[in-house]
Amino acid sequence: MARTITFIDAINEALHQEMERDDRVCILGEDLGMGGGVFKATAGLYQKFGEERVLDSPLAEGIIIGAAIGASLVGFRPVPEIQFADFIGDAVDPILQQAAKLRYRSAGGFTCPITIRVCWGGGTGGGLYHSQENTVWFAHEPGIRVLVPSTPYDAKGMLIAAIRDENPVLFFEHKKLYRTAKGEVPEDLYTVPLDKASVRRPGRDMTVLTYGYMTSLVMNAAEEMSKRGVEAEVVDLRSLAPLDRETIVESARKTSRCLIVHEDTKTLGIGAELVAILNEEAFDYLDAPVMRLTGPDIPPVPFSPPLEKFFMVDEQKILAGMEKLAAY
Amino acid sequence: MATKVNRATAVGETSASRLSPELLLGLYRMMVKCRMCDEKARILFRQGKYAGNFYSNVGQEAGEVGAAYSLRDDDWVAPSHRDWTSNIIKRAPLKYCFAQLYGKADSPDRGKSTPAHMGYPELHVITPASTIAAQLMIGTGVAWGLRRQGKDSVVVSFCGDGATSIGWFHEALNFAGVHQLPMIYVVQNNLWAESVPLRLQTALKNLSDRAKGHGIAGVSVDGNDILDVYEAATAAIARARNGEGPTVLECKTYRWYGHSEIDPAKYRMKEEVEEWKRKDPIPRFEKYLAEHKLLDDEQKKQVRDEITREIDEAVEFAEKSPYPAPEEALEHVWA
Ligand SMILES: Cc1ncc(C[n+]2csc(CCOP(=O)(O)OP(=O)(O)O)c2C)c(N)n1
Ligand SMILES: [Mg+2]
Repeated sequence: MARTITFIDAINEALHQEMERDDRVCILGEDLGMGGGVFKATAGLYQKFGEERVLDSPLAEGIIIGAAIGASLVGFRPVPEIQFADFIGDAVDPILQQAAKLRYRSAGGFTCPITIRVCWGGGTGGGLYHSQENTVWFAHEPGIRVLVPSTPYDAKGMLIAAIRDENPVLFFEHKKLYRTAKGEVPEDLYTVPLDKASVRRPGRDMTVLTYGYMTSLVMNAAEEMSKRGVEAEVVDLRSLAPLDRETIVESARKTSRCLIVHEDTKTLGIGAELVAILNEEAFDYLDAPVMRLTGPDIPPVPFSPPLEKFFMVDEQKILAGMEKLAAY
Repeated sequence: MATKVNRATAVGETSASRLSPELLLGLYRMMVKCRMCDEKARILFRQGKYAGNFYSNVGQEAGEVGAAYSLRDDDWVAPSHRDWTSNIIKRAPLKYCFAQLYGKADSPDRGKSTPAHMGYPELHVITPASTIAAQLMIGTGVAWGLRRQGKDSVVVSFCGDGATSIGWFHEALNFAGVHQLPMIYVVQNNLWAESVPLRLQTALKNLSDRAKGHGIAGVSVDGNDILDVYEAATAAIARARNGEGPTVLECKTYRWYGHSEIDPAKYRMKEEVEEWKRKDPIPRFEKYLAEHKLLDDEQKKQVRDEITREIDEAVEFAEKSPYPAPEEALEHVWA
């Protein structure tokens, strides 16, 4: 039975159900036990599973990931949490140099099935240190998945799939989606494939590649453009690493026009990689240069409301971008 | 939380009655084996037999062997760049240890990691990264997992003096303290971190005092005295098995050669090196064993001859082992 629930409830339900199903799953991080998490993503878990499996860690991101890696080596399926992407710095070595490379450097002798939940994203007045996106720091690294779900359905199904996956995973949850995104979610356990983009809306006139919070804005803009006679195909990437090149290229070849929309800053954002892929694999099919609509190259995200508004990609900006591409 | 400080007395006067001759000779043989393998690894590098680099452990064998010799197969070791020999002590077959140096297909990581960064999954030696202190966090996580599984296995990690300055060292100790984990943090204090002397690393006199800040046990021992190390390590391992928590075990020692094989170590005074070579842990222990009528010149020669043969076989194996196929570079990225 499916019912309509929020993004955060989907996350919470996935954790409850997967922890019930598999006693190797454990979570650790700051404030997620007794407090239930700063956004309540982990509410009720501590009460149900106890401190052994739901651990309030010391305030130290390095050991949150380090301890999870070690526990995974003896058979656990840890789901550590980084409270805000902005504070992942101390854990960058454990994530990139340890989790992502352990399997490679031991030729498969050790594998590291951990799922790191990270809260990211702007648009909530969080300011410079509670708004950042740093997905591409990690997407650049082979050996670790970088997931960016945009709907409650995907949040639950992808989180469960991530926990069951043998690879280390970074599971980025956009804080703006936590309570604003609502959708149909089955009550039972299910999984969503981790390396497939999702075509959210078919269209023949242009392709819009996006992910995360931006997806719903792009969907709204696409509906509006439809009224103006332009049918946009919306591709929700869902995974930034690995990228689903096939779906991306297929859509671009079909529509011959591509707009990339992301919240992240422009320079070396994932958009740059997407442009390169399209250049390599769809060049002959394109009728217009691939366009990028992104955050500006300034520290994300300045606090004051007009400054934040300036930073964030919104529906108006997306509509303008689509108009421009359609008119090219 | 006793801190024994740099005992300058003769080798382990209390241990003779407690440790069996078999164990004493086993410790001796393993120290000699580590020394000879390490020296061989250096020679092979100089001969251009393998690429990369090597981080010699010569001079530090007492700490290495004393801490890891009596570990069980189900115990874990988290080595650093300087602990290639910890695989040997954990009883990894010598031929694979040498194949590792050569980057051959028969190395446990099929040539993926650099020569000295060796692990051995079957015996729970964690393949290290180069990142200083990273192994301490992973080892601590393993200890956390073992503890939660109700097992009585322990984890011995190795690091240097320099590693005790970085935050991850402290995050690991702190976590192990909170959960009273079965961890033994062996700090091989060889007075230098590459070319940086200890006085510029820390104001502490004893690195085991790092433990105090985390509410865990800390012991400093003469790291060139195999019995001193062995006794302290055995006590720490027993405590860890009993659920009595982690220990920082500082072994005060010295690295005879450069930081790596490409470092002539011009920054050190010759006198300092000579002084420490006089404290060589191996002749010291030979003297002790001879005094207790456990070792004579004949046996010494026999031990070395046996090990020489083992090494020759291992080197031959490594040299005959094929290189991995180039495309193997693509394997083991994703599960
Ligand atoms: C985080 C980090 N910083 C710097 C280096 C480069 N580096 C490798 S070994 C080393 C010195 C290590 O000294 P110590 O911890 O005393 O160990 P030792 O080499 O003496 O055994 C340095 C600076 C590194 N590998 N990792
Ligand atoms: Mg040192």
